[in-house]
Amino acid sequence: MVKRADAIVVGAGVVGAATAAALAESGRRVLVLEQGVPGGAVSGASLACIGTHMMDEEELPLLTWCCEAWAELDRRAPRFEYNRCGQLRFLRHENERRSAETWIGIERAAGLRPELLDPAEVQAIEPGLTGPIVAATWSPDSAVVNPFLAVRTLLDVARSGSADVVSGATVTALVTRGGRIAGVETSLGRFEASIVVIAGGPWTQRLAATADVELPIVPRKAQCLATVGTRPVIRTVVGACKAEGGVDAGYTQIQQAASGQVLFNTVLEGGVTATGSPEIVPEVDRAFVRDSVDTLLFLFPALAGLDLLRSWVRYEAVTPDDRFLTGPAGPEGLFVAAGDGGTGFVRSLGMARIIRDRIDGTTPPCRDDLYDVGRFAARAAA
Amino acid sequence: MMRIETDILVVGGGPAGLSAALAAAKAGAKVDLIDAGTQPGGQYWMQDPVGPPSTRQQAEGAAAARAAIAANVTIHSGAEVWAAFPEREILANGPAGPLAFRYRALIVASGAYDRVMPFPGWTLPGVMTPGAGQRLAKLGGTAPGRRIALAGNGPFLYAVAATLRGIGATPAMLVEAGTARCAPARLVSRHPARWAEALQLLAAVRAIRDRRRGFVVTEALGGDRVQAIRIAPISHDGAIDTTRTETISGIDALLIGWGFRPMIELTALLRCRHAYDRDVGGWYCSADAETGRTSIPGIYAAGEVTGIAGAAPARLSGALAGIAAAADLGLVTSDFAHRRAILARRLQTARAFGQALGRLYPVPESIATLVCDETIVCRCEDVRKGDIRAALSGGTKGVAGAKLWTRAGMGRCQGRICGFAVAEIVAAETGTSPEAAGFNPPRIPLRPVPLNVVLAGTREGAL
Ligand SMILES: Cc1cc2nc3c(=O)[nH]c(=O)nc-3n(C[C@H](O)[C@@H](O)[C@H](O)COP(=O)(O)OP(=O)(O)OC[C@H]3O[C@@H](n4cnc5c(N)ncnc54)[C@H](O)[C@@H]3O)c2cc1C
Ligand SMILES: Cc1cc2nc3c(=O)[nH]c(=O)nc-3n(C[C@H](O)[C@H](O)[C@H](O)COP(=O)(O)OP(=O)(O)OC[C@H]3O[C@@H](n4cnc5c(N)ncnc54)[C@H](O)[C@@H]3O)c2cc1C
Repeated sequence: MVKRADAIVVGAGVVGAATAAALAESGRRVLVLEQGVPGGAVSGASLACIGTHMMDEEELPLLTWCCEAWAELDRRAPRFEYNRCGQLRFLRHENERRSAETWIGIERAAGLRPELLDPAEVQAIEPGLTGPIVAATWSPDSAVVNPFLAVRTLLDVARSGSADVVSGATVTALVTRGGRIAGVETSLGRFEASIVVIAGGPWTQRLAATADVELPIVPRKAQCLATVGTRPVIRTVVGACKAEGGVDAGYTQIQQAASGQVLFNTVLEGGVTATGSPEIVPEVDRAFVRDSVDTLLFLFPALAGLDLLRSWVRYEAVTPDDRFLTGPAGPEGLFVAAGDGGTGFVRSLGMARIIRDRIDGTTPPCRDDLYDVGRFAARAAA
Repeated sequence: MMRIETDILVVGGGPAGLSAALAAAKAGAKVDLIDAGTQPGGQYWMQDPVGPPSTRQQAEGAAAARAAIAANVTIHSGAEVWAAFPEREILANGPAGPLAFRYRALIVASGAYDRVMPFPGWTLPGVMTPGAGQRLAKLGGTAPGRRIALAGNGPFLYAVAATLRGIGATPAMLVEAGTARCAPARLVSRHPARWAEALQLLAAVRAIRDRRRGFVVTEALGGDRVQAIRIAPISHDGAIDTTRTETISGIDALLIGWGFRPMIELTALLRCRHAYDRDVGGWYCSADAETGRTSIPGIYAAGEVTGIAGAAPARLSGALAGIAAAADLGLVTSDFAHRRAILARRLQTARAFGQALGRLYPVPESIATLVCDETIVCRCEDVRKGDIRAALSGGTKGVAGAKLWTRAGMGRCQGRICGFAVAEIVAAETGTSPEAAGFNPPRIPLRPVPLNVVLAGTREGAL
């Protein structure tokens, strides 16, 4: 096993895998160290919708770039069930119309193509959606990918560019020498590299602290349900129209995987911010199960007799402004890419690109100051 | 939606669950028992769905259910537990709709299920587990075939032979991996209580014309149904010697299995501590021998879920768990200490016998080598061994990693069928132990449940 590499990536979630692929492509010998199994934490539990709709106005250029990068990856390595199925965001009440129209305006101004549809137009796109909605927005460019296969594909890309992936290696501390990063200490011994990227999701802040780097990341509970596989009944990604207050104000996401399973979750107001430890993953809670099934059957009443098969819970990494912390941090040679805020799958390729450009000293395709690791400390000082 | 508050909730209506319920009710507790079967009895005491009890086992089971009902145990048959939530809440899906229980103490007596290892041809019609064959014979008196081969290992094969003989369907062939002959006889000789049963089983085995010891079935052959099997001997170093295979034709049913696995779904969901021992079925729930207490206060386990040992220890450990659960709620009968001491002593003997028997019939270490790259391992998701190997060499690890990358264990049965095989394959491929390979943790729902039932069960506020 290589004990020395040009760059070490801690974590083989989608962010780590994408970073490893990007660094390997620019010619570095990369070592990916994963405490569990690749994709086994948040990434493998993801609904992995790749889209720009109702996300973050300032991030629109980056999100658009990311969507194109995913499409490009699919062209190069079509092995992760990439499906540009489009996305609907339903409105339950008239008073949501204003928010919908505002988002559509913002996105159209950025050159995107969302529109507002009445229930009959919605049914032409999504015939099974027969519930009493008042309207829905439609974003035709959104896609979904299979999250495990996406991680696997990115790691394959990394490996074809001479990266190594080690599963079951827990990084316990960062090693610095003369104020520079020199490597990491792991459960399998020490590994050396002059560049270390922590892409450790909700564990990132703990590892960063071993080099006295404080990161404002907290874990937030995310839950999901899956039915047994069934014939094709849902064609698009169906979500709730985004309300004021972001994720904390509640959300819904419903889609059907290539396996035929319907994957869905609904979190109503006040349900999401419950923090916890990524170590002790609990079961889904009762209210979450009720709200998720209730919403699914409100929209798709014909699914009432379908069997629920599985549930899961993960802790995702959240920052105070719901944006990633991506870029250099603390000692020279240390980089961070974490704090996904619940939609890090789509952003992962962009975060990887920012890390690569920072290391290579090249110019990123979109502004990267939004993700500056020191932004909160800088704001507090100002 | 029915909401039920009870002192002690028992999950499982086999020998362990019925004995636990009876003991707890006799101590004065309000007891509810949930069982998935249409009638209580579990595996060993499985009742005939139409006729009256026709065997000693069925009569015993019917008597145990009557005694429990007479002691005021409420039995909810045909109800599957699918969720456990904090605040001591259990949700089940019953024949008349959802049931919600709030308990003070919970006794899990969920039993066991067949341990399966795939091999080429195992998905052909006519190939089934010994448990499934036993069920056909017990429930409708139906013979699984006319020329039956019984294969695998363990004393359960003899029980199936006896049941088949009882309905006039003595198997044509027995293919056993084990070679032990004297040791089982010596073990039985030390347990006089087992002599009658042993003689009956021995007679059933002797009635089988073609008996092979130290052989395994390496392949099932046939067009749209099994027609022949291929067998090979196990050599001295434990490897399966495929250079010396032999084809046996004229077979129309193959009953093949490797003993049982404890049904740990509910105890695992509740985060009770578990341990691994291949000889008692793999992962089992750790429980105190005298009380059935698990690592979680208020949760007890009894019977096969605590490690495969047979029906007698199941009954005894059930009674002990019932007594302890009641006592921990302050319900102590006058003869408490005396009864507990007697039961505990008998349990020790019975379990020692059951487990020693299990150790005399270990699953061959080389069993995973039977599976070829093209062999389907996970039937629900159509995952082949080659897919798992590719995933492991692609950088993933363990049962969990194999599942993420190949979907093995993600289908309708959630790994109940392929779990043993995936762990053994992962261990063999990566040079670890099946224990280190881990298992697929169960999640809500424990069994597939219709969405409208889920909604009804979770809709109203907590109890
Ligand atoms: C298929 C099969 C056939 C067997 N046949 C024999 C035999 O003929 N002779 C013999 O000596 N031994 C037999 N055994 C071995 C068996 O394990 C006995 O030793 C004995 O039945 C064990 O008693 P128990 O109470 O621990 O479990 P069981 O008798 O298995 O009872 C467990 C009960 O719990 C129920 N249950 C489990 N999970 C849930 C849930 N989530 N919700 C509701 N109910 C649930 C099950 O449906 C079952 O009725 C058999 C085992 C199996 C798996
Ligand atoms: C139910 C659900 C639905 C979602 N839907 C979407 C969606 O539709 N669209 C979208 O864009 N996003 C979605 N997300 C969010 C998205 O999945 C995450 O943002 C993304 O997967 C985060 O990736 P990551 O690599 O940062 O984290 P992770 O996947 O958690 O990866 C971090 C890895 O680092 C490893 N690690 C951490 N510390 C160490 C250490 N010290 N040593 C070794 N290894 C370490 C961990 O084991 C882990 O594997 C969803 C998430 C969930 C849970």
